[in-house]
Amino acid sequence: MSAPAGDPDANPVRVLVADDDADIRDLVEFKLTQAGYAVEAVPDGVSAWEAFSANPPQLAVLDVMMPGLSGIDVLRKIRESDFAGVPVLLLSAKSRDSDVDTGFAVGADDYVIKPFSPRELLHRVNGMLARAR
Amino acid sequence: MIVGAALLLGATIVVLGACLLLILGVIAVRARRHSRSKRDEMLLSPLRPPLITVASGEDDDGSAAEELTWATGVSRTVLDRNIADLLTKIRGAPAEQLVRVLEVHGAVDAAVGDLSSRSSVKRARGAQLLGLARAAHTVPLLVDALRDESVEVRNSAAYALGLIGDASAAGPILAAIGVPDRGLPAATAAEALQSMGVGISEVLREGLKDENARTRMVAAHLSGERSFTRGLPELRHLLAHDPDVTVRETCAVAIGRLGRGEDADVLARHTGATEPLPLRRACVTAIGELGEPGAVPTLAGLLGDPDPRLAELAAGALITMGAEGRDALAGHEDDAAVRSARLVADLQKSAA
Repeated sequence: MSAPAGDPDANPVRVLVADDDADIRDLVEFKLTQAGYAVEAVPDGVSAWEAFSANPPQLAVLDVMMPGLSGIDVLRKIRESDFAGVPVLLLSAKSRDSDVDTGFAVGADDYVIKPFSPRELLHRVNGMLARAR
Repeated sequence: MIVGAALLLGATIVVLGACLLLILGVIAVRARRHSRSKRDEMLLSPLRPPLITVASGEDDDGSAAEELTWATGVSRTVLDRNIADLLTKIRGAPAEQLVRVLEVHGAVDAAVGDLSSRSSVKRARGAQLLGLARAAHTVPLLVDALRDESVEVRNSAAYALGLIGDASAAGPILAAIGVPDRGLPAATAAEALQSMGVGISEVLREGLKDENARTRMVAAHLSGERSFTRGLPELRHLLAHDPDVTVRETCAVAIGRLGRGEDADVLARHTGATEPLPLRRACVTAIGELGEPGAVPTLAGLLGDPDPRLAELAAGALITMGAEGRDALAGHEDDAAVRSARLVADLQKSAA
């Protein structure tokens, strides 16, 4: 499975992945890395915000329920930052309409509900980046 | 006096001793859990790379999945547990590949065997695994498990049937709600049925005629949620005649979701002061959902209702009904119900 992650000679597109579930974190990191992205994976919201602030990525994949800062909290901070335009995809087991509404209301560009298809996630990441260019 | 002091000291020592034992017990349990988790992590570590490869859908040649099938002994047990956990998080081709690993390990067959175990924990786990593995051939066994003596097993069986999604199980799930002393919780049944396809519409329609009120309530709720309009005549009938107020209330909500303009009149008949308050409130909300302009006079007449919540719901419904609804609010602008409804509407608008 390959993805349009840009010119192979150019710097790869950087993606921040934050999830406290090691399985999800590892498999999303692996999937995106295989597709040619440079992935930084972190286990909680605080680390996610620190990583984002230190070196803003071109896209962020955030779990909603994380210890410390939730994905929604991190998204809110991103939208208030100098890098508010970075596309953010929320990945969550919270599947109620109201949860999805909240995610988009705070500024998510996409919302994927667990259980999810890794292939579909990759397509969505590709699409978001293509639209952001 | 001395005897009393000795008794007090003795009681204090006993209480402190019991506390100490309790603390030691908690520490021991935590230490055991921690060491088991470390052991599992160590056993799983060589299998983690192929597991992640399969779970991410990157095992195009199937070599990583094959590697997983070679696991034996305790490693296999730990791996199978991890796979079952992963199946709650991912779907699609990678999930199917992981299920095949479970099948090769014999975990699916073992889960079938667990359904007849004496341990209710094993029976519940077995049912759950069969659902996660989408083991369609086990639907009859899971249907039997809906009447298990343990509520955890009944819940797991319903959850599993929902995951498998075979509409033939919808009838037994609905029927299981009304089993005396061993009933399936209504919320579990609703959740399981929610994930099934359109093939359940006739089952729900039949459920609306069931003698058990909770079954009728679940059938009414899902008819509305899933927009099964064929059940509308039954929903209207139950709204007017069901002996259970909760069923009537649920029917009102469902009609609000899937009803037609003329249903505003049907709902309006149950907004009168002689009807139970929860039903009146549900009907007013449902009229608002329908958005039928012909219901404006009914709603306007409720703005001065002695129940402030009902008045607020009527005002909220009028706000959503366009110019006619807003005109009906003229002269009531300072009413607490109208102000409150406006505030809620503004908050909803800004949240969206």
